[in-house]
Amino acid sequence: MSLQRDPERNEIDRLRKYVDVHGRRILEVGCGEGRLTWKYAKWAKTTIAIDLDHDSLRVARVDRPYDLEDQVHLACADSQYLPFSKEKFDIAILAWSL
Amino acid sequence: MVDALSEIRRVLVPNGTLIDLRPFAEQWQIEVASTNEFEETGRVLDLPEQVNGDIAANEAMKEVETRRWFTRDAEEFFPFFYSWDTPSEMEEFIEEDWADFINVSDETKKATRSAWALGNADSRVRVRMKVLLSRWKKL
Repeated sequence: MSLQRDPERNEIDRLRKYVDVHGRRILEVGCGEGRLTWKYAKWAKTTIAIDLDHDSLRVARVDRPYDLEDQVHLACADSQYLPFSKEKFDIAILAWSL
Repeated sequence: MVDALSEIRRVLVPNGTLIDLRPFAEQWQIEVASTNEFEETGRVLDLPEQVNGDIAANEAMKEVETRRWFTRDAEEFFPFFYSWDTPSEMEEFIEEDWADFINVSDETKKATRSAWALGNADSRVRVRMKVLLSRWKKL
């Protein structure tokens, strides 16, 4: 299939316009296959990307760029019960997940 | 949703930033597009699940504002395209992945196929989604 999502990169352009991820600790809720994650995570200090869908996370793990293996951590977690201590993140991104 | 937003607030630092990024139902436009031009061929039909999802999300964000958990300091709508080589690929994708959210009338399918067949060699078919990005500060 020839599907292209956001070929004009409007989404990452808007994200960059409204948030500076440089050196920040990011929580992405609803990362799916990592489509958005890979576009900003390089500049963040760390990114924890969560989703409830195992299949999507499996794809994300396979597709994770080598240079992001130490920076991006993928986890199956429910946003209603986040397995993190308080005040751990600078930025939270609800990625098509509200 | 409010429970999830409460959890997000808990794990954010004081003055931390929340980005709410999501598509917004608005009878998205279907287009046949080539490098320099595009033609609208119809609009999708929003199904109740899609519309009700937007309402619930908006109400959740209103609730966190009322509770003074977060305050909104920026908001923008922008276009986000899903694009395919052919009309049949678009129709197949919508039936498999978006059947609960949107529908496309036979009339629009016919108009899209016709416009694509008459289009330029590089013509593709796309859905112009409306996406919301809003930025919130933790209070």
